[in-house]
Formats: sequence, C-alpha cells, structure tokens
Amino acid sequence: MIKIIVNGEDRTVNDAVNIKEMIAELGYTKEGFALALNGTFVAIKAYESTIIKEEDRVEILSPVQGG
Amino acid sequence: MTQHIHTTQNESWEIGGKTFKSRLLIGSALYPSPAVMEASIQASEAQIVTVALRRQAAGEQAGENFWNIIKSLNISVLPNTAGCHSAKEAITTAHMAREVFGTNWIKLEVIGDQYNLQPDPFETVKAAEVLIKEGFEVFPYTTDDLVVAKRLVDVGCKILMPWGSMIGSGKGLMNPSNLRAIRETFPELKLIIDAGIGKPSHATQAMELGYDGVLLNSAVALAQDPVKMAKAFKHAVEAGLLGKQAGTMHQREFASPSTPVVGTPFWHQHA
Repeated sequence: MIKIIVNGEDRTVNDAVNIKEMIAELGYTKEGFALALNGTFVAIKAYESTIIKEEDRVEILSPVQGG
Repeated sequence: MTQHIHTTQNESWEIGGKTFKSRLLIGSALYPSPAVMEASIQASEAQIVTVALRRQAAGEQAGENFWNIIKSLNISVLPNTAGCHSAKEAITTAHMAREVFGTNWIKLEVIGDQYNLQPDPFETVKAAEVLIKEGFEVFPYTTDDLVVAKRLVDVGCKILMPWGSMIGSGKGLMNPSNLRAIRETFPELKLIIDAGIGKPSHATQAMELGYDGVLLNSAVALAQDPVKMAKAFKHAVEAGLLGKQAGTMHQREFASPSTPVVGTPFWHQHA
C-alpha cells in the first residue's frame, strides 16, 4: 500500500495503481468530476496510463454553485 | 401617423464567440435553495450563468444534482477559478473546468488578498496569457485599474471584467471615473462589470457608462425575494442600455424650467 493525499486528506491505495484504478479504490463511482495530480490537470484519456506514486497529491473536483 | 419607436433592448450582442439577447450574467451561488436558484435565474432571463468546481467526496451526489439543474436551464455556463491564489492554480482549474463543463470559457479569478478578495493583477495577467494561447475565451476579473486592463489586453484579452466594488459588498460602482476611462480606452472590447453590484440602480449605472453587461450574484441571491430581484435586475440592465443608446442630456449648473415661460399666468418680475 502507498499513502497519497486526496482532496487534502491522507488515503492509502494499492501499489502501482493507475488513476482509473485509484478512483475505483477510493469509491468514486459517479462521473462528472475532473482530476489534478500534483497540481496539474490529468485528462480522462490519460487515467489508465498515469501511475500513482507515494505522497502524490490528488484533487478531485466537481461542479458547484459559483459567482 | 404611427411612429415606430426603435428600441434595442432585444437586439442581440456577441461575447466570447456566442450571441445573446440578455446583457445580464448571473451567478448560481448563495441562494436559499436550489429551487429558488433555478427560479431566479429563469426570472432574470440571463443567458450566461457562472459555476465553479470544488472538492468532491467519494459517493457524493450534491454536485451532480446542481449540475443537472444548470444543464436543464439550457443556457451558457461560465466556469470560474474562484479561490485560486496563483496563475498555476487558476490554469489547472481552467483545464479541469473545460473537461467537466465542456466549454473553453473561463472566468479567470486569481485572488491577491483574502480580506477584500481583490484580484492579483500580476498572476491574472500571467494566467490569461497562458490560457489564451491554449484557446480559452478568458473573462478576467480585474480591478478598475487602467494599466492592468492594458496589460490584459496586451496578452490577448478581448473581454475585461472590472469590479464595481469588492465581491459581495453590494456597494455599487466605487469609482465610476476609472470605469469610464477603461470604456473610453477600449471601445471595441467587451466590458462587463463584475462584483460589487447591490441594487438594480447600480446595474443601470454600469450600463449607462457604456459597459456591455453586468455580472452579479449576491445582489439577487441575498435579496429578501430573489426571484423578484432577478426580474428587477433584468429591467435595470435593459433600462441602462436603452438610456445609454438614447443619449443623456447635458447636465447644467443651474435650474432651467421645463414648462414654457411664455404666457405664464400671474406673471410679474421677481427680485
């Protein structure tokens, strides 16, 4: 297992998972969110080719009200 | 003979590559309920609504419900980068918004001071330059500083959104002279007053200054009757636009009677 930070909170996921696998492990079942890894946007098409590493910082954002 | 009065309140205008009738851009935050938000946006007849992105917990559906309401309104969405404090954060948020909302429009908001939510001009210009090169239609939230406006134009901005006053303050147009200077310097640019609007008369004033539109949120969402206030702003923006197009009279230093003085009854010379 490796420790990562998801939306500011410590989480653990299996070693060498890609983003698609990480999302499933974390329980994100709904679509309609976007993801950034270590401050950089990752497009959906790159989820399977992007491997998560120890201490990675992940932001998962979805639509909310805004002004 | 019937005189055809030509009004332009329903004439279309263009911004960011799209055509609209309404000059009012409205926010989707701070309403007492999703139902009031929906009814208020509809009552405003705004065709552009601002939205945002925030952290989502696993299995959470709140964002999905909100987004479904917005989609059902069938109007254009303008995602913002609210809460970002650097060009890098804003650029990443813009990339994420483009994927989630399916639009290259971005309301670029880079905050430089947490107390008054004043935009950081240096980081805003930096982010705007990158995003424009990447094909975004950038709607930059800025102050009423003419030089900052020039720098934003230098990097390719075709739209500027100077504040009327601080976000959520409701104080109206703090510095009309500066706003007028931006309008006069950039007659071809699309200019929107963004932030600080509190009352319908503020929106009218913005349009009378020659601005192309008004973006507001709190003024409607925090009104005692948001739906009625949304309607008021619709009319206020139209009134300001018509007033500008009609051309206002010149101010005079002293009084000048409007009723004819010839034939005034009981006339005699006053001291």
